[in-house]
Formats: sequence, structure tokens, C-alpha cells
Amino acid sequence: MTTRPATLPVRGPGDRLSDLFWRRPRLLLALLIGPPLLWLGVVYLGSLFALLLQSFYSIDEFSGLVVPEFTLKTYAELIRPSNFDIILRTVMMAAAVTAGCIVIAFPIAYYAARYARGRWKAAFYLGVMLPLWSSYLVKVYAWKLILAKEGIVTWAAEGTHTSGILNALLSLPVIGGNSLSTSYIGTWIVFVYVWIPYMILPMQAALERVPTSMIEASSDLGASSGQTLRTVILPLALPGVVAGSIFTFSLTLGDYIIPQIVGSSRLFIGQAVYTLQGTAGNIPLAAAFAVVPIAVMLVYLAIAKRMGAFDAL
Amino acid sequence: MTAAVEFRNVTRHFGPVRAVDGVDLTIAEGSFFAMLGPSGSGKTTCLRLISGFDAPTSGEIRIFGEDSGHVPPNRRNVNTVFQDYALFPHMTVRDNVAYGLMVRGVDKATRRNKAEEMLSLVKLAGYGDRKPGQLSGGQRQRVALARALVNEPRVLLLDEPLGALDLKLRESMQDELKALQQRLGITFVFVTHDQGEALSMADQVAVFANGKVAQVGSPTDIYERPATKFVADFVGSSNVLPPALSRQFGGPDAWCSLRPEAIRVVEGAGQVTGTAGSARYLGAGTKLSVHLGRSEDMEISVVLPPGQAVPAPGTTVALQPMSGALHVMAGEK
Repeated sequence: MTTRPATLPVRGPGDRLSDLFWRRPRLLLALLIGPPLLWLGVVYLGSLFALLLQSFYSIDEFSGLVVPEFTLKTYAELIRPSNFDIILRTVMMAAAVTAGCIVIAFPIAYYAARYARGRWKAAFYLGVMLPLWSSYLVKVYAWKLILAKEGIVTWAAEGTHTSGILNALLSLPVIGGNSLSTSYIGTWIVFVYVWIPYMILPMQAALERVPTSMIEASSDLGASSGQTLRTVILPLALPGVVAGSIFTFSLTLGDYIIPQIVGSSRLFIGQAVYTLQGTAGNIPLAAAFAVVPIAVMLVYLAIAKRMGAFDAL
Repeated sequence: MTAAVEFRNVTRHFGPVRAVDGVDLTIAEGSFFAMLGPSGSGKTTCLRLISGFDAPTSGEIRIFGEDSGHVPPNRRNVNTVFQDYALFPHMTVRDNVAYGLMVRGVDKATRRNKAEEMLSLVKLAGYGDRKPGQLSGGQRQRVALARALVNEPRVLLLDEPLGALDLKLRESMQDELKALQQRLGITFVFVTHDQGEALSMADQVAVFANGKVAQVGSPTDIYERPATKFVADFVGSSNVLPPALSRQFGGPDAWCSLRPEAIRVVEGAGQVTGTAGSARYLGAGTKLSVHLGRSEDMEISVVLPPGQAVPAPGTTVALQPMSGALHVMAGEK
């Protein structure tokens, strides 16, 4: 019998490095997550902190210069009726967009999770992702043309003799308007269209994790399909719904282009921030406005947690 | 006695695959019935046809005389214990057990009482407030059982009920399931690939092979009088003797089965002579393989009782079947 060593020789620096990482797994971990953590800490949290700091400054009304002294005056300005309207309008729109996305995304996500296989699954992913590959601006302008008074929707409504429905919709108070492209309804449609992939994907992932046997068990125990949906499928899909709604909600809260192109010319938070830090030069108020979505999201997450949305995680 | 479940020439095809191929089966009311077979033999599909998760391609499934093949599962008075238990992770154990009552609109107080009653039936009283995730595998199995029994089904289906449990727990659950079935008098139908489980728990066993029922009978029938080569081989590794060899052993000119523990081994030549091969110690005996290397390369396995000396490999030994041990397999021509 040949004698073979019990320990194999080191073959080079690669082996030595690998030995080192094997003996000190924490070193490898530190090397891997150090750079991104540094980036996150300095660039991301740092700028967020700078923003928060700015929001506690105020602007001198005569000189137009920022006074670097701690004050709550800027926040008080937020609740002035004209500013508070902007906040309310944006939060309501974000809520409506989220609700719309949930309702439309659910059947699509359910189909993809439970029934689509092979080729159809690939077609689903492509179909959901494809709109994300084209320019956001092009899509929004395309929608403006679709929704305009002389646009496709009006034309189609005339052709199918359903102008009455369209006009009834547009004559609704507040959300109606002269045409779809100049009403809140139009803004809502475009928001839902643009953000819906962000709702479908996490929802589909959550539904895919619900085992078929659980749905069978529910029906085996006597539940109708409606009861199974309410008591088993929806509660188990809730983490995915919440994840998706975090996207749709916060993206709507921060967007400033869609409401500018499609909708009534009333301001949303994003537009307010854009004008305040640009032409108006009121950085503190812009910062205070920018803090609002963060605060709203924190409240939203706290409510979701209390409702048990993360229990199944 | 009425039949709890009756299959009449039932087939279920998945595309070109004949998962269930012309099954006729009668499950008597109040019996503990096992569907035994290797994976892909059609036993699980048959169970799903009874629960209603699947519908037959052709044929009739009668549950207590009613043609039920196309009745949805929620309208069948049949409940299932799933292989993976399928407990609802977002509900407490009590809500899981009471689920069947909840969807039927039973009021909350009755639901609670009934659920507690079921939980004590499966020896889990006091666990009602926990979530399924906080229970062990054996406890989850009991919750699944309690949940399936709460609706007082006329037939209880169990899909590989003990598959996920360790050996010790599996044995004690076998006794408990058997005792529970006798106490409740409900018809239990269970699917398993473990012949030991089927033989020890069931009153009646159906052995499945390739979508067909190879044999139905009591555990003794199946074990001692297998009808086909497949049953002989699958249920406890009987020796399968071709007609020529059966004659050598003093039997008729037909395919026969011979149990390894029903053969005496003597050193030296005799009626049937072979060469001792490898031996495997089993605790309750020693399993010896004997080569009859004459006309064909035939191997017979024999279980030697404890205490008998094990012949060394290469020794010439004579085999002698015990009287009445040779059994003709009617299903083989």
C-alpha cells in the first residue's frame, strides 16, 4: 500500500486565503458587507440625515437665505391649508393607486402562481417586465394621447356608443374633469399602469408559497371557494400584498412627473418639492415636504405590522 | 352491511398516463382499509378520487351508495388528513380544528367546545392557543387528525399519515390510530407504501400495481397467500418459485410463493440442494441467501431462527419447505 499524507499540501495563495476565511468566517463577512454598508451609511443615511436637518431650518423671508437655526416653523407651514391640501391629495392618490393595483394584480398574480407553467410562466414574466424596459416618459406621454379629449378613449367610446358612460365618469365631482387626461381619474389610471408590475411580482411570490394542499384542505373541510379565498389564500398572501403596496404607495408619494403631464394642474408632494427647491429656493420647506412620505410610510408599516401582515414571514 | 366506498371500473388518465386503470373496489363501512403500493401505482390518485380533488375519466365512485364522482370536495362528507398536514399557519391550533365548523356557520361557543373536545380526543388538550409552527411533527399530525374529525365525516382519508414521523413515534401512532378507529367506528381509508404499516393497522388491504388492484384481502391473505409475483415480492419479500422449482420443492406445476421463514435449512444434500451465500443478521433471526446454481441462477432467501448455526459461505445445504408453506399464486399463469 502506498503511503498518502493525511493532510494535502497548500497549493498557493488562493488556498492560503481560503484557509484564512475558513478559520475566520467573520472576516469574510466583514469584507463582503463592509463596502455596501459604508455606502449605505454615508451616502444614503447621511443624505437622509442632511435632509432631516434642513427641514428644521427656516428661510428668511426678506433675504431669501436659509437661516441655520433649529426651528419648527417650517413644519408649521406644512399644515397651512394650501400645503396641507397637497399632502392630503398625494396620500389619497397613493392609497387609491395602491387599492387599484391590488385589485387588478391579484387575479394576474394568482394565475401566474397557480396555473402558469413552463412557456406560459415565461410569457407572464416577460409581459409583466416588458413595460419596465421602455422609457417612463414615453409611456406617460403615450397615455396622455390615449386619454386626451381627441384621443383613443373618446374615439372608442363614440364608436361603441358608450360616450354616456365616459361623460358620466367625467362629470363626477372632484375626480372628474374636462377630459380623462386632465382629471384625477386619468392620473390614477397612469399611476396604476406604471406601478402595477411592482405589485404583481411580490404578490405572485407570496401566492406561490401557499401550498396546494392547504387550499385543498380548506375545501375538504367544507369551505366554498369564496371562503377559502377569504380565510386561507388572502391572509397567507398578505405579506406579498404589503410588500407590493410599499412599492406602489411610496412610488406614488414621491412621483412628480405623472401628475404634471396627466391630470388637473393641482400640485402633488413631488411637484411641490421640485418647485420649492428649484425656482423658489426654499430648501427647508422642500425638505419638510420630503419628510412627509417617509413619515407616512412609517405609519403605514406600523399599521400593517399591528394587523399581523408580517406574522406569516 | 353497506359499502362505504365503491369503485366501479374507475379509470383516471393524465394524458397518456393511466394512473388508475379499471379499478373495482369495495370498502366496507366501519373498516380500516389500506391502499398499499409503490409510488406511481395509483393509490394516491384513488384517494384523491374519494376526497373529490380529482374526478374519474370514466367509471363510477359511490360513497354510501350515491354516485359521487363529480361532487365537489366541500360537499362530500369525507375528510382528509394530508401527508404534509396542511395546517393553516396563520391560525391557532383551536381555529385550525374548528375550521370545518366555522365555514359551516356554527356559532363560536359551540365551535370552541367541539374543538377542545377533539383536541382532548387526540391528547392535545391545552394546546389550543398555540400556532402550528410551535408544535412538533407528531403533534401537528394529531391536530390534522382532530381537524379532519371535527366534521364527523363518514369516511376519513389518510394520505401517508405516518410518513413524516420517526420510527418510534410511528409505532405508537399506529396503535393510537387503530384504537381511535375502533372507538369512533368511522371508515378509515389510508394510503401507504410501507407494507408493515398496512399489515399491522388495516382490516383489509388493497395492493396496487401500475394503476390496477393486484389483490384485495385481509393482511394474512396478502402476506401468506399472495396472488401474484408482484404482491409476493412487494409485501415482505417472499420467494417466488417458477413452476419447475415448485415441483422440485414437492409442489404443483405452477407459480408458487414461499416465505423465507417457512424453509428449513440442513447441511448436506437433499431434496433441493444449494450453496450458502451471504448472511445478514436481523436480530430476530438471520437472513441467508442460498444459490441454486443448476438450471438457472436462482437465489432463495431463508430466515434462520435464532440459535441455529449459520452455514459458512460456500457450504452445500439442503432446503426443505415446512408443510403447507408452498402457496400457489392464482394470479400468475
